[in-house]
Amino acid sequence: MSRSRSAGSTAVSAAVLAMVLAACGGRAEGAAGTPAGPEQRVTGGTVVYAHQQEPPCVFGGWIEQAYLSQQVLDALTSLDDKGVAQPWLAQKWSVSPDNLTWTFTLKPGVTFTDGTPLDADAVAYNIDYWTKGGNSTASVWLGGYYSKATAVDARTVQIQLSRPYPRLPETVSQGYFGIQSKKALQTRSKEDNCTDPIGSGAFVIQKWTRGQDIVLLRNDHWTSWPAVATHQGPATIEKLDWKFVPDPTTRVAALRAGEVAAIYDVPAVEWKPLAAQGFAEQNYVTRGRPVQLSFNTRLGPFTDERVRQAFAWSLDRKAIVTTIGQGHVPYEGNGPVSRSTVGYSQKAADSYHLDPAKANALLDAAGWTGRDGDGYRTKGGQTLQVVLPYGAGSIVNTDGASILQGVQQQAKATGFKVKLIPVSLSELFAGKYSTPPERDIQVGYWTAVTAGILYVNWRPGTDGKPSPWNDAYYDSPELWKTILAGNSALSLDEQNGYYRQAQDFIAEHALSIGLYDRLSSLAIGPKLKGVRQEQAQGGPIFSDAYLVK
Amino acid sequence: MTAPTAATAPAAVATAPAAVAARGPVLLRRVARRAVHAVAVLLGSATAAFLAQQALPGDRATAILNTRSGQSGLRTAQELAPVVAQYHLDWPVWRQYADYVLGLLHGDLGRSYQEFRPVRDIIADQFGATLTLTLTAIALAWVISVGWVTATAGRSGPFRAVGEFVDTVTAGIPHYWLGIVLLLVFAQWLGWFPVIGGTGPDGLALPALTLAVPLAGFLGQATRSAFERTLDQPFVLSARLRGLGDGRVRMRHVLRHAVLPGVTLSGWALGATIAGAVVVETVFTRPGIGKVLVTAVGSQDLPVVTGVVVVITAVYVVANLLVDLAYVRIDPRLGDR
Amino acid sequence: MTATTTAPAPAAAPAGRRPRRRARPATGVLLAVPALLLAAVAALAPSTIARYDPTAMDFAAALQGPSWAHWLGTDESGRDLYSRIVHGTLPALSIGLGAAALAIVSALVLGTAAALGGRVLGGVVAWVIEILFSFPTLLLALLLVAVLGPSAAVSAVAIGVGSAPGYARIVRGQVLSARGSGYVEAATVLGHARARILARHVLPNAVRPLVGIFTLAVAQSVVWASGLAFLGLGVAPPSSEWGALLDAGRPYITTAPWLTLVPGLVITLLALAVTTAGRHLQRFVEKEGS
Repeated sequence: MSRSRSAGSTAVSAAVLAMVLAACGGRAEGAAGTPAGPEQRVTGGTVVYAHQQEPPCVFGGWIEQAYLSQQVLDALTSLDDKGVAQPWLAQKWSVSPDNLTWTFTLKPGVTFTDGTPLDADAVAYNIDYWTKGGNSTASVWLGGYYSKATAVDARTVQIQLSRPYPRLPETVSQGYFGIQSKKALQTRSKEDNCTDPIGSGAFVIQKWTRGQDIVLLRNDHWTSWPAVATHQGPATIEKLDWKFVPDPTTRVAALRAGEVAAIYDVPAVEWKPLAAQGFAEQNYVTRGRPVQLSFNTRLGPFTDERVRQAFAWSLDRKAIVTTIGQGHVPYEGNGPVSRSTVGYSQKAADSYHLDPAKANALLDAAGWTGRDGDGYRTKGGQTLQVVLPYGAGSIVNTDGASILQGVQQQAKATGFKVKLIPVSLSELFAGKYSTPPERDIQVGYWTAVTAGILYVNWRPGTDGKPSPWNDAYYDSPELWKTILAGNSALSLDEQNGYYRQAQDFIAEHALSIGLYDRLSSLAIGPKLKGVRQEQAQGGPIFSDAYLVK
Repeated sequence: MTAPTAATAPAAVATAPAAVAARGPVLLRRVARRAVHAVAVLLGSATAAFLAQQALPGDRATAILNTRSGQSGLRTAQELAPVVAQYHLDWPVWRQYADYVLGLLHGDLGRSYQEFRPVRDIIADQFGATLTLTLTAIALAWVISVGWVTATAGRSGPFRAVGEFVDTVTAGIPHYWLGIVLLLVFAQWLGWFPVIGGTGPDGLALPALTLAVPLAGFLGQATRSAFERTLDQPFVLSARLRGLGDGRVRMRHVLRHAVLPGVTLSGWALGATIAGAVVVETVFTRPGIGKVLVTAVGSQDLPVVTGVVVVITAVYVVANLLVDLAYVRIDPRLGDR
Repeated sequence: MTATTTAPAPAAAPAGRRPRRRARPATGVLLAVPALLLAAVAALAPSTIARYDPTAMDFAAALQGPSWAHWLGTDESGRDLYSRIVHGTLPALSIGLGAAALAIVSALVLGTAAALGGRVLGGVVAWVIEILFSFPTLLLALLLVAVLGPSAAVSAVAIGVGSAPGYARIVRGQVLSARGSGYVEAATVLGHARARILARHVLPNAVRPLVGIFTLAVAQSVVWASGLAFLGLGVAPPSSEWGALLDAGRPYITTAPWLTLVPGLVITLLALAVTTAGRHLQRFVEKEGS
C-alpha cells in the first residue's frame, strides 16, 4: 500500500519537475514574420488594436482620453515630426502685432456627424467650454493667458489673450483641444457626451463595452484630414476595434498569436524579441516632462539642498534604466524637460551621475552622521527615511516600478531609507499623497508640446498654499521670472534660452532629477500598415492605416 | 481557493433525517423557513455592503469627482454640489440605508463612482460571461471527478493511491498558478487555444479547465469516500452476486449514493467558483464580472464592488436553496425504496 | 461527525480490509515534514540557506536562467530568485498564519457562542455567521481590501475574516454534537459543574476533530494571500512575498517563465505539505483521543 502510494507520488513529482524544467528551457514561438510575396492592399476590413488603459470618458483631461478622442474629434492644428504646427481644421493662422489676438481661418464645408456645421461659432463655443471646466488639462494650458474667443464670420475665429503666448498653435494640437458639436454639447446628456462625443473626425463611436472594447466605425463623410496625413480622403479601414487589455503579457501574447493587429505600450523585455520576429515597431519619446523625481522642498529631509544633491549623487540612474529598460527605455537625466522637447538643456541632464564619495560627504555635512542597526543614516535619533508613493500600473508601468526599486536599492548604499508605496489610480485622483506631509519624493510625467511645461510644474503657490501641480512645492520668484520670460519671448531662440536657464537652475538646486522619458510605443503585426503616431503626444492614428493580404 | 470548508455537508446531512420523518406539510414549512432565512441572509449581506460603502476613508465626493475628471486636487463646494446631490451624500445615514435597501428591491444597485452608468447595467453586461464560465466549469468538474472516482475508487494497489493523491494535489492547486501554466502550455506554446479568449467556446476551454480541475479534486474527495463507503454496503454485494459486472455495479448502483455529498457541495461550489472566476478572468483576460470586480477594488469604486458582491451572494443563496431542495429529491434514502 | 471532504481517510478506511498497521510512517509524512522544516528554517533564519541578499541587484546578470551561480535564475534587476523565495517565506507564512489564526480564533468564539449561547444570543450569532458565510471568502476579502486599501496587514485581516464564517459553522456543529454526546450526559448526571463539563468534555471533543481543518486553514490562507498579491491587491513590491513574486514575474512570462512558475510551484507544494501533515496529525490526534 505505502509502496504504491510512494510510486504514485514519485510519478507525479517527476511529471511536475519535468514541466518546470521544460518551462525553463522552452521559448515562446509565435506567429510572426512578414508575409511572403508582394502585398495587396485591402479596402475596408476591421482592425483589432489592443490598448492598455481604459478612461472613464472618451473626451477629458487625461492622456488616455486624448488618445481616444483624437479618433473621433478633429483639432485646429496637428504637429509634424519636427514639432511645428501644420494645418488641420485651421487652414491658416496669424497673430496681431501686440501678440494678443490670434486669428484662425477654418477649412470650409466641414460638418459634424450630427449634421451641424463646424464653423467659427462652434470653435469659439468649444474654447469657452474647455476653460469653463469642460477639459481640465486644456484649461491648465490656457489659464492665465486666455481671455475670450469670438466668431468674426463663419470661417474666422479670433482668440483674445491677456498675455502673449507664442506657442498657441502648437498647444492646441493636443487631443485635449478636440472640437465637438455645439449642439451636442448643449442638448445632450453628460453621459452621452462622455461615451459618444460628436465630432468631425475620421471615425464615429459605434459601441463601448466597458472593460472590454470600444468599437469605432469609419466616418464616410470625413473631409477634414490634417495636412500631415499620409493619404487623402476618409479612412481606408471600415472598423476599428479598440480593445482594453491592461496586462502587458497578454497584449504581447495576443499580438504574437495574430489575434490583434497592433498593440500599445510594449514591455521593454519584448522589444527586441518582437522585432526579431518581424513585427514593426514605432516609438515616440513624449515631449514635456519626463518621468522624474521631484523632491519635497517644504517639509522633511529634502528641505536641505545638500540632502537633495546627495540623493542625486547616490544613484547610477543610467545603469538602472538601461538594464531594466533592456536598452529600449531611454535614460533621461534632466528632470523638468525631456530630450525630445525643443528647448532641452543637455547641461541640466548631465548634472549628476554616480559619485558615492560626494554623496556621503554632503550627507555628513548636513548632519546625518549617525547610523542605525540596518545601516541607514540618522540625525538626532531620526532615521533618514524618505517616502516615495507612485501610481502603480497607471503613471508608472511595470518597467518603471522595477526602476524605482533600483533607485531604492542604490540609495540604500549611501544611507537613505526609501519607502516605496504603490498607489491605486483612484487614490491618486482622490488626492492621496499629494500634500507636503505625506511624501518626500514625487514621481510622474506631464506631456506637453513645448518646454513651456515649466510654466505648469514650477508655478509658485498662492496665499501660502502650494500650487497643486508644483510637485516640489518650490516657490522661487527668480525661477518664475525666468519661466514667464520664456513663455512670452517672441523669438524661438530667446524662448529656448530662458527655458534652458530655468532647467539649469532646477538641476543646480537638485529640485527634480530625471529617470526616463515616457515612451509611447506600438508594435504592429504584418497585416497592418500605415499606422502612425501623432506628434503631440504619441497617440496612435488609424485614419491612414490599411490592411494588407 | 484550495480546500473548501465542508460546512454545507454537515448541515445538509443533518437536515435530511428530519425530512425523512414526515413529508408534505413539513416539507412546505421547511421550504418556507429556508426561504425566509435566505431573505434574511440577503438583507444582512446588503447591510454589510452598505456599511462598507460608508466606511470608505476620505471625502467621497472629492474622490468621485477626481476620478471622473482624471485630475486630482482639492475641490470647491460648488464643484462638489452636483455629485453630493446625485449620490445623496448629504442625507443622514439611516436615510441613505433605507434608500439603498429600497433600491435593491427594485434592482437598483446604485451608481458607479467612476462611470456615469448604473451598477446594474455594468454587472448585467458582464454577468452572462461569468455565469457561462462558472456553469461550464462545474459541469466539467463533475464529469472529471465522477469519471475519475468511478474508475479508481475502492480498487486495490496503485490505482487507488494515485486516485487519492491526484484528488489531494489538484484540490490544492491555486487557480492563478494553474491558469498561468495552462495558458503557457496550451495557448502560447502549443497554440491549441487562443490567448485572449473572448466569449466563444474556444476561449472558454482553458479558463473552465482552470476552475474545473481544483473543483474536481474536491468533489472527488467527497465522492470518493462516499463511493467507498457505498461499495461495502450489502446491496452492492448482492448485486455482484447476481452477476452484474464491476463497471455496471459502479455506474448504476453505487454512483447514485456516492454523488450525494457532491451535490450538496455544488451549492457551495457555485459561489466559490464564481469567486475563483475573479482570478481566472484576470489571468485569461476574459470578460466577466471578475474583471469588473478587481478593477473596482483597485479604484475603490465601492458601489460596483458592493453591487457585485451582493449579486454573487444572491446567486449563491438561491443556488444553495435549490440544492437543498434537490437533495431531498435525489437522496434515495428518502425516496420510495 | 468527523468525516469531512478534506480528511476522508479515517472514514474511507473500509472495515474488513487489510489492517492499517504500518512499520514506518506514511510517505506523505516523510515528504511533508522535511518540507515544513525547510519552510520553517527559511522563515526564521533565511540568511542561513539563501545565497544572496534578496534585494541585491546585479545589473550584469539580469534575466538569466537557472545556473550554478543562480540556482533558480534572476529577475529583471539581477536579483537572485532562489534567495528572494527563501526570504519571501516569512512574509508569506506570517500573512497566512495571521489570517488563519484570526479565522480560527473567531471561528472558535463565534461557533461556540452560537452553539451554547442559548436561544437569543446563540440565534443571533448563528444568523450573523450565516450572513457572512453567504459571501464567498475571496469576495469578502476583496470587499475589505476595497475599503481599507491593499497592504500586508489588510490581506491577513481580510482573509481571516473572509474564511472565519465557514469554520465557525463547523465549530458550531461540532460543539452541538459534543454537547449531546454520552460523556456530557454522564457528567451532567454525575452532577459536575456546567463550566467543568464545558472545559473538560465539550470543548476538547469538539475541537479535536478539527485539527485537520485548522491546518488546512493555514494552507488556504497562504494560497489566498498570494492570490490577493497576484491580483495586485496585497503586499507591495519589492517585497519577496511569494504572491508579489508571482505578480512581478508575469510580464516576463515568455522570456523568463521561471520567475512566475517557480514561486507558484513553491506555494502549491507548501500548501500540499501543510495539508498532508494536517491530515496525518488529525489521524494521530484522533488515535490519541479515542
